[in-house]
Amino acid sequence: MKEDTEFENIGRNSPYKVPEGFFEKISERTLLKAKQREQKHRKIILTLQTFAVAASFFAIALLGYFMSESGKPEEKQIVQTKQIEEKSNETRQPEKKQTIQQPAKTDQQIAIAEITKVAPVKTDAKETVPAKTEPKEIITENLTDVLPELSDDDLLQLAAMYKSDLIIDESQN
Amino acid sequence: MSETSDALILSMLKDPVRRDKGFLQLMDTYKEPVYWHIRRLVVSHEDAEDILQETFINVYRFSDSFKGESRIFTWLYRIATNECTRHFRKNKKWLNNAVKITEQIAGEFSGNDTEQGDAVLLKFQQAILQLPEKQRIVFNMHYFDDLSYEDIGQVLNSSVNTLKTNYHYASEKIKQYLIEHA
Repeated sequence: MKEDTEFENIGRNSPYKVPEGFFEKISERTLLKAKQREQKHRKIILTLQTFAVAASFFAIALLGYFMSESGKPEEKQIVQTKQIEEKSNETRQPEKKQTIQQPAKTDQQIAIAEITKVAPVKTDAKETVPAKTEPKEIITENLTDVLPELSDDDLLQLAAMYKSDLIIDESQN
Repeated sequence: MSETSDALILSMLKDPVRRDKGFLQLMDTYKEPVYWHIRRLVVSHEDAEDILQETFINVYRFSDSFKGESRIFTWLYRIATNECTRHFRKNKKWLNNAVKITEQIAGEFSGNDTEQGDAVLLKFQQAILQLPEKQRIVFNMHYFDDLSYEDIGQVLNSSVNTLKTNYHYASEKIKQYLIEHA
């Protein structure tokens, strides 16, 4: 073939040299290195396996911990929600009281308003506002001012209201 | 190496009791051709020694994975060539070192009363070092190791036609280099 004879005059020898005794020793050295490499590799595998087992145990423990902890917050939440509900109930109760009282106040106010309709009184904002807080004084003032001017019908109406309204204190009279 | 010897070495390698003996036999049989294959590619003796050891260590460790579909020789060449390629990728300056070593040897030749043939051989090596990686590998395997294109195809996973083309271009470039540097 042409390609085989192309560089025939050059030959196939290598110009590079090899240290003396290199080929005699290389086999034993390589075998030793191969064994060391294998031992090292086994150690790495063993270490990795140990780590993997430890990691899996840790993961299981962690999972168990989170699972046990996941139950507790619900209880805590229940307790917390109960506490909140109780607190809110406590706060609502006065509101209820207020709401209960409010109709009473409104009755009084209606009464006063009716009275004021009959006998117009000074309708200052200052007076009406404290009337909510201290209704008793307002009532006494209004009644004493208004009583002489009331007609018989009005008095009868007031007497009827007096009997029906439990909130009006007798001591006022 | 005959196929029966290959089969014997392989059976010894796969036997835990005779593994070391089989390994030493394998090395004694193939270390020189594999070393020269590596040396021609990487030029430096130290690098060639490292790659040779790495090649046989891989054989020792992964001998169980060798199914015997190809010859041990082809398998060894493939591992060695892959290790060389890895060396080229890892050491970007390897070619500069190789050229330096070759020039150093050329300087030694010119200083001594060496034969004219050695100087020509060195010039030939310098021409081969100028080749692209694939062409250099194909040329070395076909010209120096006397491997057939079919065997080289098994080592490099290439078609015969591609390898022939690579060899042809490599030959042309070497000839050109030798004319220019005569």
